Amino acid sequence: MCALPLHIWTIILAFRDFDWVTARTNSWDAAGVVSYGLLFALFESVVVFAVLASIGLLASAKWDEKRRIALLSSLVVILSLWSMFNQAYFINEWGVPAWLASLVVATGRPLVALYALAFGPVFITVALPAFFILRSEKFYKGVQEGIERLSLLMLLYFFFDAAALINIIVRNL
Amino acid sequence: MNHRINRRDFLKLAGLASLGMVVPPSVRAASSRLQTEKKNVLIVVFDALSAYNISLYGYQRDTMPNLARLAKRATVFHNHYAGGNYTTPGTASLLTGTLPWTHRAIRFNDGVKDEFAGKSIFHAFDDYYRIGYSHNTLVNTLFKQFINDLNEYVPQEEFFLVNDGLIRNIFGNDEDTATVGWARAVKRTDGYSYSLFLSLLYEKYRDSKVADTASLYPYGLPNVNNDNFFVLDQSIDALGVRLAEIPRPFMGYFHFLPPHYPYKPHKDFAGAFSGDSFKPLSKPDDLFTEGRSDEFLNKWRIPYDEFILDLDHQFARLFDKLETAGILDDTWLVFTSDHGELFERGIWTHSTAALYQPVVRVPLLIFEPGVQTGRDVHQATSALDLMPTLLHLTGHPTPDWAEGTILPPYAPSVTDPADKGIMAVQARYNDPSFPITEASVMLVQDNYKLVYYTGYEELGQDTERALLFDIESDPEELNELSQAKRETASEMTNIVRKRLEESNKPYM
Repeated sequence: MCALPLHIWTIILAFRDFDWVTARTNSWDAAGVVSYGLLFALFESVVVFAVLASIGLLASAKWDEKRRIALLSSLVVILSLWSMFNQAYFINEWGVPAWLASLVVATGRPLVALYALAFGPVFITVALPAFFILRSEKFYKGVQEGIERLSLLMLLYFFFDAAALINIIVRNL
Repeated sequence: MNHRINRRDFLKLAGLASLGMVVPPSVRAASSRLQTEKKNVLIVVFDALSAYNISLYGYQRDTMPNLARLAKRATVFHNHYAGGNYTTPGTASLLTGTLPWTHRAIRFNDGVKDEFAGKSIFHAFDDYYRIGYSHNTLVNTLFKQFINDLNEYVPQEEFFLVNDGLIRNIFGNDEDTATVGWARAVKRTDGYSYSLFLSLLYEKYRDSKVADTASLYPYGLPNVNNDNFFVLDQSIDALGVRLAEIPRPFMGYFHFLPPHYPYKPHKDFAGAFSGDSFKPLSKPDDLFTEGRSDEFLNKWRIPYDEFILDLDHQFARLFDKLETAGILDDTWLVFTSDHGELFERGIWTHSTAALYQPVVRVPLLIFEPGVQTGRDVHQATSALDLMPTLLHLTGHPTPDWAEGTILPPYAPSVTDPADKGIMAVQARYNDPSFPITEASVMLVQDNYKLVYYTGYEELGQDTERALLFDIESDPEELNELSQAKRETASEMTNIVRKRLEESNKPYM
């Protein structure tokens, strides 16, 4: 599950770059760049999984294994969504609304205010689902069902990963 | 035999710098002479260094005081032109002695056409030990084509503070694409990357590696492609040491990125020109204007000039090192650039179709082995002439593919390269396998300079346009003469058209 958002973001951006690379070299190299991107996404997924597994081992044993998986998976998805939002902010050149900018400046400590502004929503969107997964059986079941459905998408990025690996092996022969 | 030294060897050699300095120069010079009577050749290229911004060539800011001092011992070429307007064509012209429409390295990061892989300055010096290094990725693309004629290719990342050597090693057979994939995955360019979390870790690692050095550069660390940081001092030190060690005679080509953008001078030079009284000449917008205001252009000109001041200091350090080591006693040392930089007419940098003097006129100084006196050459000369000249000076014949001629003070007979016309070509929007249809071509003959434009959208209904300037009486190119001097403009335009047509024939 932790691999899903990482792969989706890589696929979106790598294919977005495809024309850019093709124009500078050729489509074979562009396919190579996509393949390496997917390989590094796979590596990143393994790292994230290792971190989650470690956290899972440290978590209280009073929550069963499936609940811990649901909790940590949803944490990865939420943090990934925030990270995507952060990058999309730069990709789409969104600006901070003028009223918000002046509000931040008016605090006298703009950097601290900006961090606080960013931390607030992230904390709430992480803490609330975590709370409900641990406390609400209905919410937990819903999350579990969602995870199972999303896991079907694994087939998609497994296919991309396999193709990328074959491409990289061929390129390096 | 091709081999490359590894990082450990190179750093070990760099560590011997102080040892090298304690050996008396006379001993080292004598030892060099014993090895061979053939003189070495060392070409030092600073990327995007415009002659226009160098005090030695009349610029009002004192950007290169050290070069002015050293010039008293060199042959100084005052009207020297690059073959192209950016690194790929400009460097390929330097290295092959041909114009871009011949070698065909015309698009961004192109290589020369296949047959020129064996027609470079490295090939022509086949009885020499040949070594090459460049900070610039585009030059490394060319080096890789010439690899069979290089005894030592120093990898680009050798002088980066943090490098992608691991990726290059793992994916050795596909290192270019793997490095691009790696860079797109973990290096956040303009705020984004393929990776959502690894990029944050990578940035922490990178910043910790350069933290100490970064404090010496108030505008940020000099870099290639955003985060391949380097400092020129380190490159210069290692070069000085390596040259003392390699077999003689050698032919070295070292291509350093400064003062190319991003302009990041050392703290000793940052701020040197901010707030000074220099007011650059305001010039009318060109057809190819990017709409930059004079205020914007003058703002960016300052760090560029300061970066030149920095490299001037570094070149003087290199010169002193070579002199102390006795290398200059038997080495032809060349100081030049691959193209210039523009801060006028609404245009910034050199990625432009416009071929005004600051883009194409570059410095050229040749230091003769053991000579302490200087001379000045005011005739127009070309980057294409450098290869035949250096070959002539070291007793080699001029190769049949060379389009340049031996430079005036060294030519066996009195010839003026400008008689045949000095040319530069910009053709980056064309496929090199097809005829060139969209291009800018410069032709300098006598005191006139013609720039011929063809095929650009900006020309509108016109299919071509020619601008003529008298660069002797109007070096700032403010008075366009194509109407006033119709005959001259027409003659020169016909020469350019004919040459373009000839160059296109094999691709028709």
